[in-house]
Amino acid sequence: MQFLLTAQTLILATAEDEGSGADLLLPATPELIAGVISFSIIFLMVWRWVLPTLNETLEKRQEAEKSRLEAAEVAKQEAESLLGDYRSQLAEAKTEAGRIVDEARQTAESVRQEAVGKAQTEADEILARARDEAAAESERAMAGARSEVANLSVDLAEKVVGQSLDRETQLGLVDAYLRDLESDSK
Amino acid sequence: MTDQLILAVEACDVKNEVICAPSNVLDLFEFKEALFSIGPLDFTRTVVLTFFAMFLVLAFFYFGLRRQELHPSKFAMIVEGLVGFVRDDVARDIIGHEDGPKYTPYLVSLFAFILVANSFEVFPFVNFPLTSRMAIPLFLSLVTYVIFVFVGFKKQGFRFLTDTIWPKSVPIGLRWLVGLIELVSVFILRPITLAVRLFANLVAGHLMLTLLLASGVIFVQNIGEIGVRSGIGVIWFAFGLAIWVFEVVVVVLQAYIFTLLSAVYIQTSVHSAH
Repeated sequence: MQFLLTAQTLILATAEDEGSGADLLLPATPELIAGVISFSIIFLMVWRWVLPTLNETLEKRQEAEKSRLEAAEVAKQEAESLLGDYRSQLAEAKTEAGRIVDEARQTAESVRQEAVGKAQTEADEILARARDEAAAESERAMAGARSEVANLSVDLAEKVVGQSLDRETQLGLVDAYLRDLESDSK
Repeated sequence: MTDQLILAVEACDVKNEVICAPSNVLDLFEFKEALFSIGPLDFTRTVVLTFFAMFLVLAFFYFGLRRQELHPSKFAMIVEGLVGFVRDDVARDIIGHEDGPKYTPYLVSLFAFILVANSFEVFPFVNFPLTSRMAIPLFLSLVTYVIFVFVGFKKQGFRFLTDTIWPKSVPIGLRWLVGLIELVSVFILRPITLAVRLFANLVAGHLMLTLLLASGVIFVQNIGEIGVRSGIGVIWFAFGLAIWVFEVVVVVLQAYIFTLLSAVYIQTSVHSAH
Protein backbone atom coordinates (compact mmCIF):
# COMPACT_ATOMS: atom_id res chain seq x y z
CA MET A 1 0.00 0.00 0.00
CA GLN A 2 2.82 2.35 0.89
CA PHE A 3 4.67 1.62 -2.31
CA LEU A 4 1.52 2.12 -4.36
CA LEU A 5 0.88 5.41 -2.68
CA THR A 6 4.45 6.51 -3.25
CA ALA A 7 4.40 5.46 -6.85
CA GLN A 8 1.10 7.21 -7.40
CA THR A 9 2.25 10.42 -5.81
CA LEU A 10 5.49 10.26 -7.73
CA ILE A 11 3.59 9.86 -10.99
CA LEU A 12 1.20 12.65 -10.02
CA ALA A 13 4.07 14.87 -9.06
CA THR A 14 5.85 14.14 -12.33
CA ALA A 15 2.72 14.84 -14.28
CA GLU A 16 2.12 18.11 -12.51
CA ASP A 17 5.64 19.39 -12.54
CA GLU A 18 7.92 18.19 -15.28
CA GLY A 19 11.15 16.66 -13.91
CA SER A 20 10.23 16.81 -10.22
CA GLY A 21 9.97 13.00 -9.95
CA ALA A 22 13.51 12.69 -11.19
CA ASP A 23 14.45 15.37 -8.68
CA LEU A 24 13.27 13.08 -5.93
CA LEU A 25 15.49 10.27 -7.19
CA LEU A 26 18.58 12.41 -7.80
CA PRO A 27 20.74 13.23 -4.83
CA ALA A 28 21.08 16.90 -3.97
CA THR A 29 24.74 17.93 -3.91
CA PRO A 30 24.78 19.63 -0.47
CA GLU A 31 23.06 16.58 1.05
CA LEU A 32 25.52 14.25 -0.64
CA ILE A 33 28.46 16.25 0.71
CA ALA A 34 26.94 16.31 4.22
CA GLY A 35 26.27 12.58 4.03
CA VAL A 36 29.80 11.76 2.88
CA ILE A 37 31.40 13.93 5.58
CA SER A 38 29.10 12.63 8.34
CA PHE A 39 29.51 8.99 7.43
CA SER A 40 33.28 9.34 7.08
CA ILE A 41 33.55 10.87 10.55
CA ILE A 42 31.32 8.17 12.04
CA PHE A 43 33.36 5.47 10.29
CA LEU A 44 36.64 6.94 11.57
CA MET A 45 35.31 7.06 15.10
CA VAL A 46 33.93 3.51 14.98
CA TRP A 47 37.12 2.17 13.38
CA ARG A 48 39.68 3.99 15.51
CA TRP A 49 37.84 4.34 18.84
CA VAL A 50 34.51 2.49 19.25
CA LEU A 51 35.61 -1.06 18.44
CA PRO A 52 39.07 -0.88 20.11
CA THR A 53 37.46 0.63 23.22
CA LEU A 54 34.73 -1.98 23.32
CA ASN A 55 37.23 -4.81 22.87
CA GLU A 56 39.42 -3.32 25.61
CA THR A 57 36.42 -3.02 27.92
CA LEU A 58 35.40 -6.61 27.28
CA GLU A 59 38.98 -7.81 27.86
CA LYS A 60 39.17 -5.85 31.11
CA ARG A 61 35.86 -7.30 32.17
CA GLN A 62 37.07 -10.81 31.35
CA GLU A 63 40.30 -10.26 33.29
CA ALA A 64 38.38 -8.88 36.24
CA GLU A 65 36.09 -11.87 36.10
CA LYS A 66 39.07 -14.20 35.89
CA SER A 67 40.88 -12.58 38.83
CA ARG A 68 37.63 -12.59 40.77
CA LEU A 69 37.30 -16.32 40.15
CA GLU A 70 40.93 -16.87 41.12
CA ALA A 71 40.48 -14.84 44.30
CA ALA A 72 37.39 -16.87 45.08
CA GLU A 73 39.35 -20.08 44.49
CA VAL A 74 42.15 -18.91 46.81
CA ALA A 75 39.63 -17.87 49.44
CA LYS A 76 37.92 -21.25 49.10
CA GLN A 77 41.21 -23.09 49.57
CA GLU A 78 42.06 -20.93 52.57
CA ALA A 79 38.67 -21.59 54.04
CA GLU A 80 39.08 -25.32 53.45
CA SER A 81 42.51 -25.42 55.11
CA LEU A 82 41.16 -23.33 57.98
CA LEU A 83 38.28 -25.74 58.32
CA GLY A 84 40.75 -28.65 58.40
CA ASP A 85 42.79 -26.85 61.05
CA TYR A 86 39.72 -26.19 63.11
CA ARG A 87 38.58 -29.77 62.75
CA SER A 88 41.93 -31.20 63.89
CA GLN A 89 42.06 -28.65 66.70
CA LEU A 90 38.59 -29.64 67.72
CA ALA A 91 39.52 -33.31 67.66
CA GLU A 92 42.63 -32.55 69.75
CA ALA A 93 40.57 -30.54 72.16
CA LYS A 94 38.07 -33.38 72.47
CA THR A 95 40.83 -35.90 73.20
CA GLU A 96 42.39 -33.51 75.68
CA ALA A 97 39.06 -32.94 77.36
CA GLY A 98 38.49 -36.71 77.58
CA ARG A 99 41.91 -37.17 79.07
CA ILE A 100 41.31 -34.40 81.60
CA VAL A 101 37.93 -35.86 82.56
CA ASP A 102 39.48 -39.33 82.97
CA GLU A 103 42.26 -37.91 85.08
CA ALA A 104 39.83 -35.99 87.20
CA ARG A 105 37.74 -39.10 87.59
CA GLN A 106 40.76 -41.10 88.67
CA THR A 107 41.88 -38.39 91.06
CA ALA A 108 38.41 -38.18 92.52
CA GLU A 109 38.30 -41.95 92.89
CA SER A 110 41.66 -42.08 94.64
CA VAL A 111 40.70 -39.15 96.87
CA ARG A 112 37.48 -40.89 97.71
CA GLN A 113 39.23 -44.18 98.45
CA GLU A 114 41.79 -42.37 100.56
CA ALA A 115 39.05 -40.60 102.48
CA VAL A 116 37.10 -43.81 102.93
CA GLY A 117 40.25 -45.64 104.08
CA LYS A 118 41.12 -42.88 106.48
CA ALA A 119 37.62 -42.81 107.87
CA GLN A 120 37.66 -46.56 108.22
CA THR A 121 40.96 -46.46 110.05
CA GLU A 122 39.74 -43.72 112.33
CA ALA A 123 36.55 -45.58 112.99
CA ASP A 124 38.51 -48.75 113.73
CA GLU A 125 40.79 -46.83 116.05
CA ILE A 126 37.86 -45.24 117.86
CA LEU A 127 36.20 -48.63 118.17
CA ALA A 128 39.36 -50.26 119.48
CA ARG A 129 39.92 -47.47 121.93
CA ALA A 130 36.33 -47.73 123.10
CA ARG A 131 36.67 -51.44 123.51
CA ASP A 132 39.89 -51.08 125.49
CA GLU A 133 38.36 -48.42 127.66
CA ALA A 134 35.30 -50.56 128.26
CA ALA A 135 37.48 -53.54 129.11
CA ALA A 136 39.60 -51.50 131.51
CA GLU A 137 36.51 -50.06 133.11
CA SER A 138 35.01 -53.45 133.50
CA GLU A 139 38.31 -54.71 134.99
CA ARG A 140 38.37 -51.82 137.38
CA ALA A 141 34.75 -52.40 138.36
CA MET A 142 35.44 -56.09 138.83
CA ALA A 143 38.44 -55.40 141.10
CA GLY A 144 36.45 -52.87 143.09
CA ALA A 145 33.60 -55.30 143.48
CA ARG A 146 35.93 -58.08 144.43
CA SER A 147 37.57 -56.09 147.30
CA GLU A 148 34.20 -54.86 148.45
CA VAL A 149 32.79 -58.39 148.52
CA ALA A 150 35.87 -59.58 150.42
CA ASN A 151 35.53 -56.87 153.02
CA LEU A 152 31.84 -57.55 153.40
CA SER A 153 32.51 -61.27 153.72
CA VAL A 154 35.14 -60.71 156.38
CA ASP A 155 32.90 -58.36 158.30
CA LEU A 156 30.11 -60.87 158.06
CA ALA A 157 32.30 -63.74 159.17
CA GLU A 158 33.57 -61.75 162.16
CA LYS A 159 30.05 -61.06 163.20
CA VAL A 160 29.11 -64.68 162.72
CA VAL A 161 32.15 -66.16 164.41
CA GLY A 162 32.25 -63.45 166.99
CA GLN A 163 35.86 -63.08 166.94
CA SER A 164 38.10 -61.05 164.99
CA LEU A 165 40.13 -62.95 162.67
CA ASP A 166 43.39 -61.86 161.58
CA ARG A 167 42.27 -59.48 159.00
CA GLU A 168 45.02 -60.09 156.53
CA THR A 169 44.61 -63.83 156.71
CA GLN A 170 40.89 -63.53 156.23
CA LEU A 171 41.21 -61.34 153.21
CA GLY A 172 43.64 -63.88 151.82
CA LEU A 173 41.13 -66.61 152.32
CA VAL A 174 38.37 -64.67 150.65
CA ASP A 175 40.53 -63.85 147.70
CA ALA A 176 41.43 -67.47 147.37
CA TYR A 177 37.85 -68.46 147.53
CA LEU A 178 36.77 -65.90 144.96
CA ARG A 179 39.50 -67.03 142.65
CA ASP A 180 38.25 -70.53 143.01
CA LEU A 181 34.76 -69.32 142.22
CA GLU A 182 35.96 -67.47 139.15
CA SER A 183 37.89 -70.45 137.92
CA ASP A 184 34.90 -72.67 138.60
CA SER A 185 32.55 -70.34 136.77
CA LYS A 186 34.88 -70.34 133.80
CA MET B 1 6.83 19.03 9.21
CA THR B 2 3.17 19.67 9.82
CA ASP B 3 3.80 23.37 9.21
CA GLN B 4 5.54 22.46 5.99
CA LEU B 5 2.53 20.45 4.87
CA ILE B 6 0.12 23.13 6.00
CA LEU B 7 2.09 25.59 3.91
CA ALA B 8 2.13 23.14 1.02
CA VAL B 9 -1.59 22.47 1.18
CA GLU B 10 -2.86 25.79 2.38
CA ALA B 11 -5.40 25.64 -0.38
CA CYS B 12 -6.81 22.40 1.13
CA ASP B 13 -10.55 22.44 0.56
CA VAL B 14 -11.74 20.95 3.85
CA LYS B 15 -15.38 21.34 2.82
CA ASN B 16 -15.11 19.06 -0.20
CA GLU B 17 -11.88 17.06 0.08
CA VAL B 18 -11.51 14.03 2.40
CA ILE B 19 -7.74 14.35 2.79
CA CYS B 20 -5.30 17.19 2.39
CA ALA B 21 -2.56 16.48 -0.12
CA PRO B 22 0.07 18.94 -1.30
CA SER B 23 -0.14 20.11 -4.89
CA ASN B 24 3.51 19.07 -5.33
CA VAL B 25 4.71 16.07 -3.36
CA LEU B 26 8.30 17.32 -3.50
CA ASP B 27 7.34 20.03 -1.05
CA LEU B 28 7.30 17.31 1.60
CA PHE B 29 10.87 16.30 0.89
CA GLU B 30 12.80 19.22 -0.51
CA PHE B 31 14.17 22.00 1.61
CA LYS B 32 15.93 24.19 -0.88
CA GLU B 33 16.18 27.23 1.32
CA ALA B 34 19.63 27.48 2.89
CA LEU B 35 19.51 28.31 6.60
CA PHE B 36 23.14 29.45 6.25
CA SER B 37 26.11 28.70 4.04
CA ILE B 38 29.74 27.83 4.66
CA GLY B 39 31.68 28.34 1.45
CA PRO B 40 29.94 26.46 -1.34
CA LEU B 41 27.96 24.27 1.05
CA ASP B 42 24.39 25.39 1.65
CA PHE B 43 23.11 24.29 5.04
CA THR B 44 19.52 23.42 4.22
CA ARG B 45 17.32 21.76 6.85
CA THR B 46 18.32 18.33 5.49
CA VAL B 47 22.03 19.15 5.65
CA VAL B 48 21.74 20.44 9.21
CA LEU B 49 19.81 17.30 10.19
CA THR B 50 22.49 15.12 8.57
CA PHE B 51 25.19 16.67 10.74
CA PHE B 52 22.85 16.45 13.73
CA ALA B 53 22.45 12.72 13.04
CA MET B 54 26.22 12.39 12.92
CA PHE B 55 26.57 14.12 16.29
CA LEU B 56 23.87 11.90 17.76
CA VAL B 57 25.71 8.77 16.60
CA LEU B 58 29.06 10.07 17.91
CA ALA B 59 27.51 11.04 21.25
CA PHE B 60 25.70 7.70 21.48
CA PHE B 61 28.97 5.82 21.10
CA TYR B 62 31.03 8.23 23.18
CA PHE B 63 28.75 8.32 26.22
CA GLY B 64 28.04 4.61 25.98
CA LEU B 65 31.64 3.43 25.87
CA ARG B 66 33.89 6.08 27.45
CA ARG B 67 33.83 4.76 31.02
CA GLN B 68 34.83 1.14 30.34
CA GLU B 69 32.95 0.08 33.45
CA LEU B 70 33.16 -3.41 34.86
CA HIS B 71 29.46 -3.16 35.63
CA PRO B 72 27.99 -1.18 32.71
CA SER B 73 25.02 1.15 33.11
CA LYS B 74 21.80 0.40 31.20
CA PHE B 75 22.74 2.91 28.50
CA ALA B 76 26.21 1.41 28.15
CA MET B 77 24.63 -2.02 27.85
CA ILE B 78 22.41 -0.79 25.00
CA VAL B 79 25.40 0.70 23.13
CA GLU B 80 27.56 -2.38 23.74
CA GLY B 81 24.65 -4.61 22.75
CA LEU B 82 24.12 -2.75 19.48
CA VAL B 83 27.78 -2.78 18.49
CA GLY B 84 28.11 -6.38 19.67
CA PHE B 85 25.03 -7.37 17.66
CA VAL B 86 26.45 -6.02 14.37
CA ARG B 87 29.92 -7.37 15.17
CA ASP B 88 28.80 -10.88 16.14
CA ASP B 89 25.46 -11.53 14.45
CA VAL B 90 26.07 -9.67 11.20
CA ALA B 91 29.81 -9.33 10.48
CA ARG B 92 31.10 -12.53 12.09
CA ASP B 93 28.16 -14.84 11.44
CA ILE B 94 27.67 -13.84 7.81
CA ILE B 95 31.14 -12.94 6.53
CA GLY B 96 32.97 -15.38 8.82
CA HIS B 97 35.20 -15.48 11.88
CA GLU B 98 38.32 -14.75 9.89
CA ASP B 99 37.19 -12.00 7.52
CA GLY B 100 34.23 -10.64 9.48
CA PRO B 101 36.19 -8.41 11.88
CA LYS B 102 37.75 -6.48 8.95
CA TYR B 103 34.34 -5.24 7.85
CA THR B 104 32.90 -4.70 11.33
CA PRO B 105 33.77 -0.96 11.52
CA TYR B 106 32.01 -0.32 8.21
CA LEU B 107 28.93 -2.36 9.12
CA VAL B 108 28.63 -0.83 12.61
CA SER B 109 28.91 2.69 11.15
CA LEU B 110 26.38 1.80 8.48
CA PHE B 111 23.83 0.44 10.92
CA ALA B 112 24.20 3.27 13.43
CA PHE B 113 24.06 6.04 10.82
CA ILE B 114 21.08 4.61 8.92
CA LEU B 115 19.23 3.85 12.16
CA VAL B 116 19.52 7.45 13.37
CA ALA B 117 18.84 8.90 9.90
CA ASN B 118 15.72 6.69 9.62
CA SER B 119 14.57 7.36 13.15
CA PHE B 120 14.14 11.06 12.37
CA GLU B 121 10.97 9.94 10.61
CA VAL B 122 9.30 9.11 13.90
CA PHE B 123 11.21 11.61 16.02
CA PRO B 124 8.70 14.19 17.33
CA PHE B 125 9.44 17.73 16.05
CA VAL B 126 11.90 16.43 13.46
CA ASN B 127 9.53 14.14 11.54
CA PHE B 128 11.77 13.84 8.53
CA PRO B 129 13.78 10.75 7.60
CA LEU B 130 17.10 11.72 6.05
CA THR B 131 17.04 8.47 4.12
CA SER B 132 13.93 9.61 2.26
CA ARG B 133 16.38 11.79 0.35
CA MET B 134 18.37 9.84 -2.21
CA ALA B 135 21.77 11.23 -1.23
CA ILE B 136 22.49 9.06 1.80
CA PRO B 137 21.06 5.70 0.57
CA LEU B 138 22.80 6.14 -2.79
CA PHE B 139 26.14 7.07 -1.27
CA LEU B 140 26.05 4.20 1.22
CA SER B 141 24.98 1.61 -1.36
CA LEU B 142 27.79 2.81 -3.65
CA VAL B 143 30.28 2.35 -0.81
CA THR B 144 29.00 -1.21 -0.30
CA TYR B 145 29.21 -1.74 -4.07
CA VAL B 146 32.79 -0.51 -4.28
CA ILE B 147 33.77 -2.67 -1.30
CA PHE B 148 32.24 -5.90 -2.58
CA VAL B 149 33.48 -5.45 -6.15
CA PHE B 150 36.99 -4.53 -4.95
CA VAL B 151 37.10 -7.40 -2.43
CA GLY B 152 35.72 -9.82 -5.03
CA PHE B 153 38.48 -9.06 -7.51
CA LYS B 154 41.10 -8.97 -4.77
CA LYS B 155 40.13 -12.31 -3.26
CA GLN B 156 39.05 -14.26 -6.35
CA GLY B 157 40.88 -12.40 -9.08
CA PHE B 158 39.32 -12.43 -12.50
CA ARG B 159 37.31 -15.52 -11.55
CA PHE B 160 34.99 -13.20 -9.61
CA LEU B 161 33.75 -11.92 -12.98
CA THR B 162 34.00 -15.16 -14.99
CA ASP B 163 32.25 -17.24 -12.33
CA THR B 164 29.41 -14.73 -12.37
CA ILE B 165 29.09 -14.70 -16.15
CA TRP B 166 29.71 -18.44 -16.61
CA PRO B 167 28.35 -20.15 -13.46
CA LYS B 168 29.69 -23.72 -13.52
CA SER B 169 27.01 -25.13 -11.20
CA VAL B 170 24.31 -24.39 -13.80
CA PRO B 171 23.58 -26.80 -16.73
CA ILE B 172 25.57 -25.67 -19.73
CA GLY B 173 22.56 -24.85 -21.88
CA LEU B 174 21.28 -22.33 -19.38
CA ARG B 175 24.65 -21.02 -18.33
CA TRP B 176 24.72 -18.01 -20.65
CA LEU B 177 21.21 -16.95 -19.53
CA VAL B 178 21.84 -17.33 -15.81
CA GLY B 179 25.22 -15.65 -16.32
CA LEU B 180 23.58 -12.68 -17.99
CA ILE B 181 20.99 -12.39 -15.24
CA GLU B 182 23.70 -12.70 -12.58
CA LEU B 183 25.87 -10.11 -14.29
CA VAL B 184 23.06 -7.58 -14.38
CA SER B 185 21.93 -8.52 -10.87
CA VAL B 186 25.33 -8.34 -9.18
CA PHE B 187 26.96 -5.43 -10.96
CA ILE B 188 24.02 -3.22 -11.86
CA LEU B 189 20.93 -4.02 -9.81
CA ARG B 190 22.47 -4.66 -6.38
CA PRO B 191 23.51 -1.06 -5.65
CA ILE B 192 20.30 0.31 -7.10
CA THR B 193 17.96 -2.04 -5.22
CA LEU B 194 19.93 -1.55 -2.03
CA ALA B 195 19.55 2.22 -2.24
CA VAL B 196 15.98 2.27 -3.54
CA ARG B 197 14.69 -0.25 -0.97
CA LEU B 198 15.75 2.01 1.86
CA PHE B 199 14.80 5.24 0.13
CA ALA B 200 11.35 4.08 -1.04
CA ASN B 201 10.38 2.64 2.34
CA LEU B 202 11.19 5.86 4.11
CA VAL B 203 9.55 8.03 1.42
CA ALA B 204 6.38 5.97 1.73
CA GLY B 205 6.42 6.08 5.51
CA HIS B 206 7.06 9.80 5.62
CA LEU B 207 4.31 10.43 3.10
CA MET B 208 1.78 8.34 5.01
CA LEU B 209 2.61 9.97 8.32
CA THR B 210 2.56 13.55 7.10
CA LEU B 211 -0.60 13.14 5.03
CA LEU B 212 -2.53 11.42 7.81
CA LEU B 213 -1.31 13.44 10.79
CA ALA B 214 -1.37 16.81 9.03
CA SER B 215 -4.82 16.15 7.51
CA GLY B 216 -6.00 15.21 10.98
CA VAL B 217 -4.72 18.48 12.40
CA ILE B 218 -6.05 20.63 9.55
CA PHE B 219 -9.55 19.09 9.67
CA VAL B 220 -9.79 19.46 13.44
CA GLN B 221 -8.44 23.03 13.31
CA ASN B 222 -11.26 23.96 10.94
CA ILE B 223 -13.97 22.63 13.23
CA GLY B 224 -15.67 26.05 13.38
CA GLU B 225 -16.02 26.13 9.64
CA ILE B 226 -16.92 22.52 8.84
CA GLY B 227 -18.52 21.24 12.07
CA VAL B 228 -19.07 17.47 12.23
CA ARG B 229 -16.92 16.96 9.12
CA SER B 230 -13.87 17.62 11.28
CA GLY B 231 -14.45 14.11 12.66
CA ILE B 232 -12.64 12.92 9.51
CA GLY B 233 -9.57 14.56 11.00
CA VAL B 234 -9.86 12.50 14.18
CA ILE B 235 -9.99 9.30 12.11
CA TRP B 236 -6.96 10.34 10.03
CA PHE B 237 -5.01 11.27 13.14
CA ALA B 238 -5.76 7.96 14.90
CA PHE B 239 -4.81 6.08 11.75
CA GLY B 240 -1.64 8.17 11.55
CA LEU B 241 -0.68 7.21 15.12
CA ALA B 242 -1.15 3.51 14.29
CA ILE B 243 1.07 3.95 11.21
CA TRP B 244 3.59 5.75 13.45
CA VAL B 245 3.98 2.60 15.56
CA PHE B 246 4.38 0.55 12.39
CA GLU B 247 6.99 3.00 11.10
CA VAL B 248 9.07 2.61 14.27
CA VAL B 249 9.46 -1.04 13.26
CA VAL B 250 10.21 -0.10 9.64
CA VAL B 251 12.91 2.34 10.79
CA VAL B 252 14.81 -0.38 12.65
CA LEU B 253 14.12 -3.09 10.12
CA GLN B 254 15.32 -1.11 7.11
CA ALA B 255 18.56 -0.16 8.87
CA TYR B 256 19.08 -3.83 9.69
CA ILE B 257 18.23 -5.02 6.15
CA PHE B 258 20.63 -2.53 4.55
CA THR B 259 23.44 -3.63 6.87
CA LEU B 260 22.61 -7.32 6.49
CA LEU B 261 22.53 -7.16 2.68
CA SER B 262 25.81 -5.23 2.62
CA ALA B 263 27.32 -8.03 4.71
CA VAL B 264 25.83 -10.70 2.44
CA TYR B 265 27.20 -8.98 -0.70
CA ILE B 266 30.64 -8.69 0.89
CA GLN B 267 30.45 -12.34 1.91
CA THR B 268 29.76 -13.46 -1.66
CA SER B 269 32.92 -11.62 -2.71
CA VAL B 270 35.07 -12.91 0.15
CA HIS B 271 34.08 -16.54 -0.36
CA SER B 272 33.70 -17.90 -3.83
CA ALA B 273 30.21 -19.36 -4.29
CA HIS B 274 31.49 -22.37 -6.22
